[in-house]
Amino acid sequence: MNAPSTKPRVHLDSGLSIGYGKSLARISGNGDGILLEEGTHYLLARNGRGKTTLLKTLAGVIKPLDGGYQCVGRCQYLSEDLTFDRELPAKAIFKALLKKSKYAEAINLAKTVELDVVKPYGKLSTGNKRKVSLLVAEFSICDEGLDVLLLDEPFTGLDAFSREAFQQRWDNCQDGVLRLVSCHPDFDSMKVKSSVLIADGVIKQAGGETGDQSWGVIKSQLN
Amino acid sequence: MQLYRLTLTTMIQRKVWIIALLCVLLLPAVLPYLTPYESNPSLIEPARAQAAWVCLWVVTIAWLFFQAARFGDETSRSGIGAYFLSSGISGLSQMIQIWLACLTFLIPLVAITLAVCFVGAMPSDGAQAQMWVATNLQYAALFLLVVTPLMMLAVSIGSRFGSTVGYLVPLCMSIYGMYGVGYLAMMTEVQSNLLLDWLYIMSPHYHLADLTPRLVFKQGSMLSSEFLQLVVYFVGIKIVLAMFSSITFQPRAAT
Repeated sequence: MNAPSTKPRVHLDSGLSIGYGKSLARISGNGDGILLEEGTHYLLARNGRGKTTLLKTLAGVIKPLDGGYQCVGRCQYLSEDLTFDRELPAKAIFKALLKKSKYAEAINLAKTVELDVVKPYGKLSTGNKRKVSLLVAEFSICDEGLDVLLLDEPFTGLDAFSREAFQQRWDNCQDGVLRLVSCHPDFDSMKVKSSVLIADGVIKQAGGETGDQSWGVIKSQLN
Repeated sequence: MQLYRLTLTTMIQRKVWIIALLCVLLLPAVLPYLTPYESNPSLIEPARAQAAWVCLWVVTIAWLFFQAARFGDETSRSGIGAYFLSSGISGLSQMIQIWLACLTFLIPLVAITLAVCFVGAMPSDGAQAQMWVATNLQYAALFLLVVTPLMMLAVSIGSRFGSTVGYLVPLCMSIYGMYGVGYLAMMTEVQSNLLLDWLYIMSPHYHLADLTPRLVFKQGSMLSSEFLQLVVYFVGIKIVLAMFSSITFQPRAAT
């Protein structure tokens, strides 16, 4: 009998095909597929290539067209268009969704990234609205460290300072969480330790064992 | 129960519950004075009970059904439903959590209505008072059996077809069940039509749960057997509507 896994893991089997009705992207039929373990992995592709579709598939929100995948851990899919009631301030959202112990941490990080937690959600700017969702996801992770965070373009509208604050937290926090983050990096020197690329309708892994790659290098692989 | 807490927090934050509370609390105190009570002071108490129950029906149908439909719609469209779905909270659980949040507001409103009837309209005669309490408790039970499945229906239809349809369906069902069925009964008496007879049998007879005339005319409480029959009938409708709602609820927007 296998010992229970204590680390989050996502495995995309070879032959996995995603899309709505017709295939948008797939994993090449030969090979072992793609294995992602704890840490931050960036999902990179041009618009309309299937980043959101892949995240939704992994979250179990939509079914794959073909093939399979394994997602070990407690999933949280943070969609790009996740919104809360416009009258609720961030403070009330955190209180409703987070545990007491995590609430104080969330408020602290909110202060760091200059999020007004008493302003109604509807009056926040796009970037600040994203901060609310990100903070909810970040502080909803369980203490056992078996979480899979699927973040769909979490940096949209975020200023560089806030984005760096979150990235630093991900780098420094040894929380054992697997984060798959879809985004469009905006500077070529950004280091990407591990990434999943979607190009030419094929999902492939980059970085990882080969070491850090910069966005400038990876960009050339996307069509 | 995160979605329950979020829905409850949103309802509290919107503050419309204050109006609902004031309606149920103050209108039964004011409306009875529109009756010709000066010529007959004994009209006040039955009129107060009638006003209390009518206000509760109106507030529930106008406010809580709409809130339920709106939360169903928002959960699906805002991405919150997909978020909870991904974290392992099933669609059924999400629907029940939203429904429970609405129920959390309904129960105190029912309690206030009962309190108004017990404190502000209780007959002085001991035997009558006992009957009054029993009738009001029966009324509360039947009321909850009628409106709670309709509220669940509002959540589920709202999530799939939007808040307008989600609100109109239970609204029309409750109005039809309260008043429309009576007109249908008159039609079936005038002309024999198999289709109309069948429709009458299949219709939800919500008017049976309206015990206001019993209170106003002091007809006393229902016999236990009669009351149990009604409970079984409404539980049957509740099961059918709950099953339909669980199938219809859609936690994520259609792609």
